[in-house]
Amino acid sequence: MFKRSALLVALLSLCLPPLLRAEDPDLPPGPVQAKVRTACMECHESRIILQQRLSKGTWTKEVDKMIKWGAVVDPNDRDAFIDYLSTNFGTDKPAEPASRVAAGKKR
Amino acid sequence: MISRREFLKGVSGAVAAAGAVPPLFAWAADDSGVQVPGKEGMILRSARFLDLEMPPEFFNSWITPVPHFFVRNHMHEPSTLDAGEWRLSVGGEVENPLSLSLVDLAKLEPHTVTNTLECAGNGRAFHQPHVPGVQWEKGAVGTARFHGPRLSDVLRRAGVKASGKHVMFHGLDDVPGKVPPFIRSIPVEKALDVDTLIALQMNSAPLTRHHGFPARMLVPGWIGAASVKWMHEIKVLDKEFDGNFMKPGYRLPNHLVKPGEAVNPNDTHAVTALSAKSVIAMPSDGSNLSSRSVHVQGAAWAGEADVARVEISADGGATWQPAQLGKDQAKYAWRLWSYVWKAPKAGDYTLMSRATDGQGRTQPTVAEWNPSGYLFNAIDQVRIHVQA
Repeated sequence: MFKRSALLVALLSLCLPPLLRAEDPDLPPGPVQAKVRTACMECHESRIILQQRLSKGTWTKEVDKMIKWGAVVDPNDRDAFIDYLSTNFGTDKPAEPASRVAAGKKR
Repeated sequence: MISRREFLKGVSGAVAAAGAVPPLFAWAADDSGVQVPGKEGMILRSARFLDLEMPPEFFNSWITPVPHFFVRNHMHEPSTLDAGEWRLSVGGEVENPLSLSLVDLAKLEPHTVTNTLECAGNGRAFHQPHVPGVQWEKGAVGTARFHGPRLSDVLRRAGVKASGKHVMFHGLDDVPGKVPPFIRSIPVEKALDVDTLIALQMNSAPLTRHHGFPARMLVPGWIGAASVKWMHEIKVLDKEFDGNFMKPGYRLPNHLVKPGEAVNPNDTHAVTALSAKSVIAMPSDGSNLSSRSVHVQGAAWAGEADVARVEISADGGATWQPAQLGKDQAKYAWRLWSYVWKAPKAGDYTLMSRATDGQGRTQPTVAEWNPSGYLFNAIDQVRIHVQA
């Protein structure tokens, strides 16, 4: 039983999108979800995006700052990135609950 | 030095105030699955770059144990750092440039400064409208004993020229993409202050990797960003450094601005000393309490100033009662405080705390909004329900 569940976990991890670890929550679905994941998670993890609650104007400044700092975003995708982020992480959304660093192994 | 007895007393007090749920288990349901050895139970704001916040239940100790001390990283931590090979260079507007090893620094007379270190963005999550950045609530703050040589002793050996006006600190943060390096500067007067250190130890142990091993700056009473971690270069400049993390980063507008309003970077100033602030650690927001006798406790700090008083209100700020300040104190350290409030009857209440410092600065009802959400210090409040 243990071996089967371990195998399942291993298979599931293979199915996980690149740059996302098993413990990291995924970004919500949307037309540019995969592109946002690839561009942002080169450096960050999803929580830093999930906790933002910003207007479209502020998201625009953030996306442009990140592009300036090396985020790889196709110029044709810039507006879609801003739409995706401001739709999912706009000022009208409830706050994202925080989680804690996992308990260590028993010593 | 806090005694074991005092420490245990603090812990048991916190447990009682929390309503009998031991802190160890209080967060089990929120476990992220992300392991950060030595930092168990901290609030995970971001695993990459690592940003960890101290949960309110850990405000119970005057000295924050390193496992409970917040972590704010702007970038990756240095991937390789050999303490034997490591050197701290001192150059710029000096007569004798230096290259110092850890052994060289350890030979200088060490000093200890107990300091409350707070991230400039602590409380950012409470700004309305929200501003971008790590959404810190109460706990991007902690108090530790920092130990190491004085920066002024090193600068005297190097001989600061008359042209030297600011001192720049360059950290070894591992820079991703085209992000500018983590470089900050402070005015030479603060650099020469007897309490500004090149810290090698925190709470009597060598700095851990998350806290800047092998050496970090300690600029007491100032925002955490001034105390650059993983130091490798000190440079004396003839003016304030103007790279990203000094400008436009870590600046406040000279005048109040409205959300969305453009800010001219030349009409701003660097954020330096911390504001007067108090937080309520216990009871936690949303507590359901079985006793009408409510033990309220927390911490208050004021950067370079002393905490003069902390007051508590249970009637929306109409009347205030003085809290009792803890006996532990040091020039740049917070004061723990406590207050026993008797609820007149069962019901819902809001408890508020307000600190005033020795310069007469009092926490405002609403913190000054600014585009980056720095120095949030509004009067703190928790909502509670008293049952009986």
